[in-house]
Amino acid sequence: MTRQIFKHMLILITVALLVAFTAVLGILYSYFGVVQEGQVKAEAKLAAQAVEAEGISYLENLDPDTTRVTLVASDGQVIYDSEADASTLENHADRPEIKEALVSGEGMSTRFSGTLLKSFVYCAERLSDGTVLRIAEPRDTALNIAAGMVPFVLMLLIILMVCMWFAARRVAARITEPLNRLDLDHPMENDEYEEISPLLKRIYAQQKQIADEKGRLVRIERDFTAVTQHMAEGLILLDEEGRVLNMNNKAGKLLNAGDVYIGMDILALERREKFREILAGALEEGEHGEAILPYDRLSYQVDVTPVMDGKKVIGTVVLLFDVTERETAEQMRREFTANVSHELKTPLHTISGCAEMLESGGVRPEDQKKFVHLIYTQVQRMITLVQDILYISHLDEGAVDMSCSRIDMCLMADKVIESLSQEAEKKHVGVSLDSDGEVIYYGVARLTESIIFNLIDNAIKYNKEGGEVHVRLRAAAHTITLQVSDNGIGIPEEDQTRIFERFYRVDKSRSREIGGTGLGLAIVKHAAMLQNAQIRLDSQPGRGSTFTVVFPEKATDEAEAAV
Amino acid sequence: MRLKFDEELNNLNREMILMGSMCEDAINTAICALIKGDPEGHKNVSAIVTEISHKEREIEDMCLKLLMQQQPVATDLRTISSALKMVSDLERIGDQSDDIAEIVSMQNVSDADDKYEILDLGQASSRMVTGAVDAFVKRDEKAARAVIKEDDTVDDYFDKIKKELAKSIQTDETGLEKTLDLLMISKYFERIGDHAVNIAQWVIFSVTGILEGNTK
Repeated sequence: MTRQIFKHMLILITVALLVAFTAVLGILYSYFGVVQEGQVKAEAKLAAQAVEAEGISYLENLDPDTTRVTLVASDGQVIYDSEADASTLENHADRPEIKEALVSGEGMSTRFSGTLLKSFVYCAERLSDGTVLRIAEPRDTALNIAAGMVPFVLMLLIILMVCMWFAARRVAARITEPLNRLDLDHPMENDEYEEISPLLKRIYAQQKQIADEKGRLVRIERDFTAVTQHMAEGLILLDEEGRVLNMNNKAGKLLNAGDVYIGMDILALERREKFREILAGALEEGEHGEAILPYDRLSYQVDVTPVMDGKKVIGTVVLLFDVTERETAEQMRREFTANVSHELKTPLHTISGCAEMLESGGVRPEDQKKFVHLIYTQVQRMITLVQDILYISHLDEGAVDMSCSRIDMCLMADKVIESLSQEAEKKHVGVSLDSDGEVIYYGVARLTESIIFNLIDNAIKYNKEGGEVHVRLRAAAHTITLQVSDNGIGIPEEDQTRIFERFYRVDKSRSREIGGTGLGLAIVKHAAMLQNAQIRLDSQPGRGSTFTVVFPEKATDEAEAAV
Repeated sequence: MRLKFDEELNNLNREMILMGSMCEDAINTAICALIKGDPEGHKNVSAIVTEISHKEREIEDMCLKLLMQQQPVATDLRTISSALKMVSDLERIGDQSDDIAEIVSMQNVSDADDKYEILDLGQASSRMVTGAVDAFVKRDEKAARAVIKEDDTVDDYFDKIKKELAKSIQTDETGLEKTLDLLMISKYFERIGDHAVNIAQWVIFSVTGILEGNTK
């Protein structure tokens, strides 16, 4: 600012000085011209008188310093010249001052001398003998005068510049001081200068715009953070080098990232081969990649999607989501199919083998019955198996009739025990039922029956010779409890969580001789689940197992409402 | 200049992580082959080990270049010099995994019923390698010390296996080759554990600046 003001002042002053200088010069020049002409005239007169009196010798003794004296004859012939040899000079008759002097006795002229390359003031005086005496003095040129004035002018300029510098600083300070004091947070409340009010208005408008924009960005960021931090999936943003730009809580937890993860190489957090491959694919080829990786016993699908700017990868989005359920379901389905095929194939082999023997006639007549019986039992086995499979797939699809009815649990248990009495007798297992009189439950009869049947059936099957099975029924205020306990072989602890899975057998080698489909407990679990009942298992290997099913009152309420 | 140096250090770090995870892959593939008695496993391990050797050269080049051109000091110098040492241990781990897979591929041990102890040993040494790489990646002194401590478990396993194998030589002379192979495999696992300890020590050095001698 100071510089600007100084510059402008300098230009102004310089122009003013130049104008003044030129004007003064013009005036002085013409003034000096007049003065000099007078002087030269006086000199010419004096010299003329002296030459009249003393003759030409006066001129020869005269010591001319700046003045040039010339004596010219009346015909224009130069008789004497103080600066040049008279004989070399041309005829001067045509010089205006000489011409004039010859006519009127006195002549003046100012002109540029070709001889001496200077401007001269000439004054000629006719002498009494007809000759003309001319005095010439070099004219002070404007340049001479100017040269004389320049140092003063320059000095003046320097002094003025110093003054101007201080003045400019002061002015600048004076102008800027109120500007610096402006309250830009509230631009419209300033009234220092009217001239800057458009500026203030613009600042105000821009401030408002910035504030709006900032608010919008903060809102967006808050929304984004809220969404990403609370989502169940892990989200990681990477730059083009694979360094972490940001990640949400979930991803941080999965990768054990700690607090400082921004700017970290993602490979420092996750370096498994599959991940490395898909990450390299995304960063180098710009290809989307996915993989399934285990994290703490859970399976996560990892999706790596490159963020492209034209053809260049500028970053990557990594998404981690839990697919454990899907994976387990898939695995279960695979296992189920494999198991079903296996279970169906085994009896078919026996049947096929027996039938082949019978056909070829390689069986003795007395053994034929044995073979036919074998075929019969295997077919029965298959029928039960297929029935169970159909039943469980019905349960899976929810295609079971869910209409509730009043069930006398005691009666039902009694019937089941009755139907299983043959099996029990074969193994010499005693089955006892213990209940507080009538236990009424409103529920789905078929489901409840399959629970009771399968539990008691298992308790007999997996019992030792001469074992005991106790069936207990208890009606509490809000629940009905069914308890089936045996003192049979029991279930090892590591198998206890798995026995409700389809086709899971604790002792795989013995399962065939015991019979059963491996679906019993799976059916119990499903049937209980559909009726919101809880199953509990207490078992010790070698000492027996107790299955407890707690039917909730809620089902009863709903059932009553339905009835 | 400084910016470039930082970038190169980052690259070095990344390459080290890659090499570390390759070693994990190698040892895990070898263990897998051992479990399944799969002779094909050797090919897979060999492929990984070739890559590991390339990586070793690459990292050595990087380290030397950094040392010459940037003349690093303090932490940077420690990081680079320990990286230079660590790659040789990592490379040894890869080689020994390869040796294990090679023995497995000879099919002498595929039907061994007493592999379980060795598998425990293998898993323990694999854990140590993972722990050492983790400690390096996170510059975690505590994790490094845990790795050094785990070496005792590996040594115990090895001693136990050695005694059992010696016993089986005395009682049953038919499976001599199998027994020797199992002993070799155990020894290689034990060596892998030792290399993991070395790596852990270099991690501690690069973090604290104190180089601890081999504790054994």
